[in-house]
Amino acid sequence: MGFFSGLDAEQYDRQYSDKQLVRRMAHYFDAHMGKLWVIGLLALSSAVTAAAVPLLLARALDELGEQISPEAIWLVVGVVFLSGFLSWATNWWRRRLTARTIGDVILTIRLDGFKAAMSHDLSFYDENPSGKVVSRITSDTREYGDMIVLITDLISQFGQALIVGAALIAINWRLSLYLFGMLPIVYWIATLFREAARRTTRTGMRAMGNVNAVIKETISGIAVAKNFRQEEAIFKEFDHGNQSSFDVNLRRGFVLSMVFPALNALAALGTALLLYVGGMNVAASVITAGAWYLFLQGLDRFWFPVLNLSAFWTQLQSGLAAAERSFALIDAEPRVVQVGKQRMARLRGDIRFEQVNFSYVTGEPILRDFSLHIKPGETVALVGHTGAGKTSIAKLVNRFYEFQEGQLLIDGKDIRSLDLTAYRRQLGIVSQVPFLFDGTVAENIRYAAPGVKDPEILRLARKIGKGEWLETLPDGLKTEVGERGARLSMGQRQLVSLLRVLVQKPAIFVLDEATASIDPFTEWQIQQALDMILSKSTSILIAHRLSTVKAADRIIVLREGRIIEEGDHDGLLAQGGHYATLYNTYFRHQSLAYVEESRKLAK
Amino acid sequence: MSTTPLPAPHAAEFTLPERYATNRSGPGRWLWSHFKPHWALGLMLMVGAITNGALAAYVPIEIGKAFEAIMASPPQTELLIGFVWVIIISQTVRSLLQFARNFAAEWLGQLFERNIREELYTNLLGKSMTFHSLQSVGDTMARATNDVREINLMFNPGLNLVIGAAFFLVTPIVASFGIHPALSIIPMAFTLVYFVAIWQYLKELNPVTAKQRNAFGTLNSRLSESLDGIETVKGMAQEKLEVSLFRRNANRFREAYIHQGYIEARFLPMLLMAIAQAAGLWHSLMLMQAGLITLGDVIAYFGLLALFGFPVFTSLFAYSQVSLGVASARRILDLLNNKTDLDQNAEGYSEPMKGGIEFKNVTFAYEGHEAALNKVNFTVKPGLTVAIVGQTGTGKTTLAKLVNRTYDVTTGVVSVDGVDVRDWNLEALRRQISIIEQDIFLFSRTVAENIAFGHPEATRAEIEEAAKQAQAHDFIMEFTHGYDTVVGERGVTLSGGQRQRMALARAFLTDPRILILDDSTSAIDSATEDKIQRAIYAATKGRTTLIITHRLSQIRWADLIVVLRGGKVVASGSHEDLLKTSPAYKRIFSE
Repeated sequence: MGFFSGLDAEQYDRQYSDKQLVRRMAHYFDAHMGKLWVIGLLALSSAVTAAAVPLLLARALDELGEQISPEAIWLVVGVVFLSGFLSWATNWWRRRLTARTIGDVILTIRLDGFKAAMSHDLSFYDENPSGKVVSRITSDTREYGDMIVLITDLISQFGQALIVGAALIAINWRLSLYLFGMLPIVYWIATLFREAARRTTRTGMRAMGNVNAVIKETISGIAVAKNFRQEEAIFKEFDHGNQSSFDVNLRRGFVLSMVFPALNALAALGTALLLYVGGMNVAASVITAGAWYLFLQGLDRFWFPVLNLSAFWTQLQSGLAAAERSFALIDAEPRVVQVGKQRMARLRGDIRFEQVNFSYVTGEPILRDFSLHIKPGETVALVGHTGAGKTSIAKLVNRFYEFQEGQLLIDGKDIRSLDLTAYRRQLGIVSQVPFLFDGTVAENIRYAAPGVKDPEILRLARKIGKGEWLETLPDGLKTEVGERGARLSMGQRQLVSLLRVLVQKPAIFVLDEATASIDPFTEWQIQQALDMILSKSTSILIAHRLSTVKAADRIIVLREGRIIEEGDHDGLLAQGGHYATLYNTYFRHQSLAYVEESRKLAK
Repeated sequence: MSTTPLPAPHAAEFTLPERYATNRSGPGRWLWSHFKPHWALGLMLMVGAITNGALAAYVPIEIGKAFEAIMASPPQTELLIGFVWVIIISQTVRSLLQFARNFAAEWLGQLFERNIREELYTNLLGKSMTFHSLQSVGDTMARATNDVREINLMFNPGLNLVIGAAFFLVTPIVASFGIHPALSIIPMAFTLVYFVAIWQYLKELNPVTAKQRNAFGTLNSRLSESLDGIETVKGMAQEKLEVSLFRRNANRFREAYIHQGYIEARFLPMLLMAIAQAAGLWHSLMLMQAGLITLGDVIAYFGLLALFGFPVFTSLFAYSQVSLGVASARRILDLLNNKTDLDQNAEGYSEPMKGGIEFKNVTFAYEGHEAALNKVNFTVKPGLTVAIVGQTGTGKTTLAKLVNRTYDVTTGVVSVDGVDVRDWNLEALRRQISIIEQDIFLFSRTVAENIAFGHPEATRAEIEEAAKQAQAHDFIMEFTHGYDTVVGERGVTLSGGQRQRMALARAFLTDPRILILDDSTSAIDSATEDKIQRAIYAATKGRTTLIITHRLSQIRWADLIVVLRGGKVVASGSHEDLLKTSPAYKRIFSE
């Protein structure tokens, strides 16, 4: 029912003008211009065939009256059947073409949207939460597909109304005024009802949202409620929300239930009026009986288009807003720009920062005049407080962000001149919260190196803690990890992501170490996997664990985007500088000495 | 607390007096038992639908009479006003009855939504944790929100239009019989063919709609996964792979979308109506030619046939709406009927607890899975602290949850104070045992309310004292509103360590005899670690504690350490014992 759609639509801020949006949207239909013309013609022709029936009957009424010949009967019936059949057939054809065109256009826009999403660098995702990007790619594209259907339906309905309308004016313009005079009233009443429906729908949705929120929270926290036997208290809260949602939505139902009865009563008044005025005119021989019949039919033809029109503007606006959101996603400018496409054979893993300045937000510098040289095969641990620039260094090496000044050289070449895909293939990255995709453990391990076979994966997996961790997976390498790896524990996820890097054999390894707590047995296995990677690559470690810091060839101590100390663990600790402070803040509790001492805390 | 067990169809942990009993043996019977108390509304709906349909016939009939009168020679204009009044009055009454029909359907829908939601929710509260831990929150939510909503929509617009439209099929048959008995043949034939066509249409459409919905689901879930993992995708240079995956999923959706469009485009009832109109026109003209009916009758009859427009257009969605509603009813019913194993055991043992725990040959398996615990044996004296250690998936959490009967053993016995936990009064058992879970859940209420959750009568001073013991007071005071700060949903504004200390404060307040602590937090810095250690040590004092932990210091100083591997106890004893007997244990204590 068109009349009730879009009642809960929200307002959005707009940046593009309607004209720009329509032009952009039209562009997507370029490849379907032929089909679009056919759709338009079909919409009009189905309007013509549908309008033909009342016109023909009116004519027949005048010409033939009660003295109708058998031939005339066949003619009239034949035309009525033919126009009914044609309007069904043109409708069929039109809707098929529309479904196909819209299916294709939605696919194209979705692909454009997704490709854009894939090409945006991480600064884009800092500003746009991924949930919003998802709805721009899926729901928004769908919404303006619906809008196109709506427009073609409306064209057909109005075409029909216009043909009948023109005929009515031609027959008797004065009588037409009765009919057309009614339409603004219908539109006005429909708009009033829509406004009321819209208001009550909003409050109804809100009340329902409240109950759902209560259910969601209490079902998520059901274990706590059960532990403390608080079911009754929780039920009371629910009951309150449920009851008030009922009250509010019943009120909404009351308003909505009135709409069609009221409009029907109005239509009956209109019919009664036309019946009377028309009948009097026929009696006075001002118009013919056929014209009278046509006027009565005309009311029906105008009723629905006018009703739908009252809902049309909201739908058009929300369709345009949806289009705007999709285009904004596609149009966003990338900040990471490559100037060349140099492909490097095998990287040696020499990394050199030269006076790099970097900030995420202008005016808030993270790295200042930063210089650092990491030699091929070296393992470097970065330590410092939050915000000291550890993660930024790693992200610049990964080329996730653009830096503003200075140079970053990989094997002596400007990082901007490299072929990004080829370069990243030689990078092994493990982020702080390891991310796995829905699929099996083996598929995830193979993600960056699709050619690697199962036996090779198994061989590597067994090297870690004699493969003990595989025992904890219900189906070994074939275990399904679930969405985002949710079915695996943090420790298991870390092991999988380390194996992913191991099979990839990267030249440069960048690890943002997890802070999550892992059981000591798994922890030991993670350490083994890590050692295997470190021995083969240039490694940059953002260390959170004492054992990792100790494993590094060189520790870089950072403070406010600058290097203030470097050296090895024992040496730096003996210096008693910033590293010693950091050690006491972040690492002391991880030592065995602390374990022995901890009993004293209980006192 | 009203926990008197009522004669309920299933044993439940929590029950409430019901509004009315429902029959849960099938979706039809279940919906009927919800309908019975509101039969009056059903009557109102039916009466509204019948009269609305019947009165609709007046418009074409009066128009026919008007043509008759005006086309007579001389025209009988004086009759016209009478027809006009009949139309106005009949249609005003019809509107009122149509409103009654609409509102009755709406009212029923809202009543069903409210009552079913309440039935479902009460039932969910009564189900044991065995059920809740296996059931995903998302799935339960979908049933408690969308499916309940679908049942509402099944009444309005669903059944409202189906029933309303049904009488628009009947009216032309009856009214045309009044004009001339033979004229009812075509409406009858149309009605028959219409039902066949609709049935065929829905049979063809439903699987395609389902396919479209599935395709959309797949598209959406992989899409949001790729974007959440964008750093991994880019880091591994797999953008091309993701684009081709997306293309495949989006294309699958496109095909389903187009297929559905094709089926909808063909919609045969519309063609049937055109045929019926032509055939009806022919039939009535033939009768007129034979002098059996008048021209006015032809006009009236043709107008009556137009009433079929309503059932034809509403059938596009009204029937699907009803079948969606029935499918939803089935899903909700599945959830309601899901058996729950534990009952309240109100007559069971309910003495004050001392805190001794014994596992005797305990084996436990989740339904349809291999044993998660296998022949576990150990004994804990009241007041001691036990550390349970092992890798993920070795059964640590399961083991702890057998103590308060979150789950029941498959074979063997878990006893507390020498009494099998299954013989305890559930309320008494759980009140004296506290579990602090790995993922600590805080409600969107104030900090104080969250701490006092298990003990709502606690005074502010008691709450603060508990928070101090749990080392939580300091960070709570740093919040702008202190103890009156409202915690964000799922406790997002608090770190894992802070949430854990909130949970410990809860435990201090309820002062359980047995504390089960599933500890998986990690401190970012040593000062916080000091606090957590202090809080945990304080919590273990004076009660039996089972602690599942990764903290070496908690393991090191526990009275008993139980090492699990693959659901079996592979080593147990004190720290010194294990250093000697278990190489794996020794390894984790070497740097």
